[in-house]
Amino acid sequence: MSVLTSTPDPRSRTSALLGRLFDFWPLVTFGALVVITLLLLLPVYNIIGLSFSGKEAGNSVFQNYVMFFSEPYYYRSLINSFIVSISATILALLVGIPAAYFVSRYNIWARSLIKTIVVLTFVSPPFIGSYSWVILLGRSGVLTRFFADFGISLPSIYGAPGIIFVFTLQYFPFVFLLVSSGLKSIDQSVEDAARNLGSGEFATFVKVIAPLLLPSITTAALLVFVAAFTDLGTPLILGEKFRVLPLLIYGEFVNDFGGEPVLASTLSVLLLAVTTGALLLQRWLSARFSYATSAIRPLTIQEPPPAKRIAAAAYVYLLMAIAILPLINIVISSFLKSKGPVLTAEFSLENYRRISGTIAGPLWNTILFTSTATLACAVVGTLVAYIIVRRPGRIGAFLDTVVMFSYAVPGIVLGVGLVVTYHHPPFALTGTAMILIMAYFIRRLPFSVRSSVSSLQQLSRDTEEASVNLGAGPAATFAKVTVPLLSMAILSGVLLTWSNTIRELSATLILQSGSTATVSIEIFNEVVNGNFGVASALGSVLILLTFLPLILLFTFMGKNEEALV
Amino acid sequence: MTTSVTIDSVTKRFGDSTAVDNVSFDIAQGEFFTLLGSSGCGKTTLLRMVAGFLRQTSGHICFGGKIIDDVPPHQRNTGMVFQNYAIFPHLTVFDNIAYGLRARRRSKAEIDREVKHMLELVQLGHLAHRRPRELSGGQQQRVVLARAMVIKPDVLLMDEPLSNLDTEMRIHLRSEIRSLQRQVGITTIYVTHDQEEALLMSDRIAVMSRGRVEQLDVPHKIYAEPQTLFVARFIGENNLLSGTVIGREADGSSVIELPGGHRIRGAGGFDEAGSPCQISIRPQDIDLAHSGDAPQNTIGGTVTDIQFLGGTVKLLVEIGAEQPLQVSLQGRRGMEMPTPGSRLKLDIPLKAVRTFKAEASA
Repeated sequence: MSVLTSTPDPRSRTSALLGRLFDFWPLVTFGALVVITLLLLLPVYNIIGLSFSGKEAGNSVFQNYVMFFSEPYYYRSLINSFIVSISATILALLVGIPAAYFVSRYNIWARSLIKTIVVLTFVSPPFIGSYSWVILLGRSGVLTRFFADFGISLPSIYGAPGIIFVFTLQYFPFVFLLVSSGLKSIDQSVEDAARNLGSGEFATFVKVIAPLLLPSITTAALLVFVAAFTDLGTPLILGEKFRVLPLLIYGEFVNDFGGEPVLASTLSVLLLAVTTGALLLQRWLSARFSYATSAIRPLTIQEPPPAKRIAAAAYVYLLMAIAILPLINIVISSFLKSKGPVLTAEFSLENYRRISGTIAGPLWNTILFTSTATLACAVVGTLVAYIIVRRPGRIGAFLDTVVMFSYAVPGIVLGVGLVVTYHHPPFALTGTAMILIMAYFIRRLPFSVRSSVSSLQQLSRDTEEASVNLGAGPAATFAKVTVPLLSMAILSGVLLTWSNTIRELSATLILQSGSTATVSIEIFNEVVNGNFGVASALGSVLILLTFLPLILLFTFMGKNEEALV
Repeated sequence: MTTSVTIDSVTKRFGDSTAVDNVSFDIAQGEFFTLLGSSGCGKTTLLRMVAGFLRQTSGHICFGGKIIDDVPPHQRNTGMVFQNYAIFPHLTVFDNIAYGLRARRRSKAEIDREVKHMLELVQLGHLAHRRPRELSGGQQQRVVLARAMVIKPDVLLMDEPLSNLDTEMRIHLRSEIRSLQRQVGITTIYVTHDQEEALLMSDRIAVMSRGRVEQLDVPHKIYAEPQTLFVARFIGENNLLSGTVIGREADGSSVIELPGGHRIRGAGGFDEAGSPCQISIRPQDIDLAHSGDAPQNTIGGTVTDIQFLGGTVKLLVEIGAEQPLQVSLQGRRGMEMPTPGSRLKLDIPLKAVRTFKAEASA
């Protein structure tokens, strides 16, 4: 063909390949693998290893599991966990699906207020809800005493029913938000067709709408289940003699600390097995039921007959009133004078005066840990997302899988894993700020990755290629083109991460030491000590810190409540 | 410095499918070279390999005789113009154009001078500090063109740069691109599926199909002398008729018998006696036979349809072959207009009849 003056020199080729190893993206990929291995895979590997280790020689590697399944004290907790989680899931679906349908379809009044309440309920720290219910319905609770005066005795908030009740209220927003957004993706013509063919409204919902909502419903159900199954704060406050698995882990861990937390690891592995199973089930179900519909003209708001409209509104308002009650209660009781666990009806700023002296440390810790972890999430999450989307291959697929898996690792399990991994010198990190930041970071990383992945997929590759073509290397292109184009997505991810991390309790309970206590821990300690007034004041501060970023997110960044799930 | 480009036996496979199949050609320095083909023919894959975004499975790509296979895309010094502009939406027009110069760490004064010069060249000086979203599609594409040219690339690569624009802007911009390219004298590889664009702009065209180059030539030869049946079918309008080669004349032309019994003499590649063949004849090459001429091919037929389009008159003439012959006549003042059903004699110049080997599957 033409005059080829040069042929490829094998040596220059090798050096080019070697040089490419130290290019930006291979380095970043390597770094991401190291970080994920050290913070996630190694801790999980260690607790699995510990769970199969025996203290005495000659015993089966399964001895810890054999013990678990032969001692009622232990295996009852697993059964209990399933009972409360499955009950809460079913109830949350029963409560949440009609609420979402009514709010999305009927012109009931104050729909945006309802959505606000759902968001408030959803992002408020679960353990705050629990102890607020204790203030209301505990043995000397406000409502308990009020109704006792009329000779009515309310059911106890303690034990399984109380936990199920609180979980249902805490987690039905998953159902509400996912079903609402599912309804938005159904085209009006689908419903019209069903009605035209002779189905009534209820039959249309059951036969046509609900099947199309199945992906949303299954996802919501699994999210509720996992959240309920792994929650530590609520059973800690309400459980009393009713023990669930996370409670046992926490108990064993606190006892075992100093020795080898073998049993805590065994329990953690069981917890992890359940959540991983739930995640896999959810992925299988949503793949199976996804119809990939997209609405050209989404379902419209109907105008039902007045009676129907009022009945639907009454149902939704009642649910919202109950859901928001604990939050209102916290804010009000923070301004009341308290005598130990008993709050008086007297207005006072005493609680805030009392916390003003002690809150500085925990507040600083909370903000420092949360901000550092959030920042790390934003940086690493964007980089990992880039590798997954733009550099597909075996490593990208591996990272994708690991990130998906880390969704399934509950906070408490991560806490145990980090402690057993970083307890001994030279990496003795337990009790340091570092280990808490690591936990927060790895816990929220999958969410950051997921949100960056979806924005990157919408971003045309050409823009980045244009930059490379114009001579900017991979790192420069990422910094000058990709990041600016993703900036809004990254920023909203930051706000969400911040809001979610600041209320973390499970892992913090395991990983904190006195000097690294956060606001959540302080609240928890005050609750345990019966100082409900102080706890409420701290709780109000925490709620404020949780909501601030969301207010920014909704008002300035044009996001809606569906960004939360 | 702009350079020549060599594509040497380049093949690209994606899994089992071959996107580019052993393609070789040279592009001269300063040439406007077009890869023409329908979607999936491998033209964009080839362009992306030249830019370095894809690595060929085998073969070499050279700039100025030097193999650049291992040069990463950001060091190849090519300027690429993308179909969907790929403008940087977060940067002003000025910063978009300055991007490549800044990546090359040029001095501020030089950047300022070069960008301003380029802005003048594409007539966007007044929009220097606008954001891309305030610009029309045509203006955006000019920004992208300026951005690609300001770095004085070795090769300018254009991937269907006009296909997202409306017709008027497309027609306007294609002459603008061509004159800019001539002014700067930059080697250009232009990818398009639009044959009119290709014929109008290019120095040479490579017509591609299924990963291979079907024909590589100057535009008028591509049009007038298609070398393969694909090119005959793809470029312009053509009457495609199947027939059988029955012999060869002394002057080198072959004689083909059409299904209706007509015999026709044709030039071009395929003349294996006794085998089925395909012939192509452009409608505008056919004329009405006038008495007194020395016709090379004369075919009689019946007019079945007439379309009067002002400048041209299109006839459908039934000649007893598989399908009627399309004839395109110059509309002349006072011309004798045929009527449907009337019989007439057509004159077909020998050179206008191209013969090809019949397709096995056709």
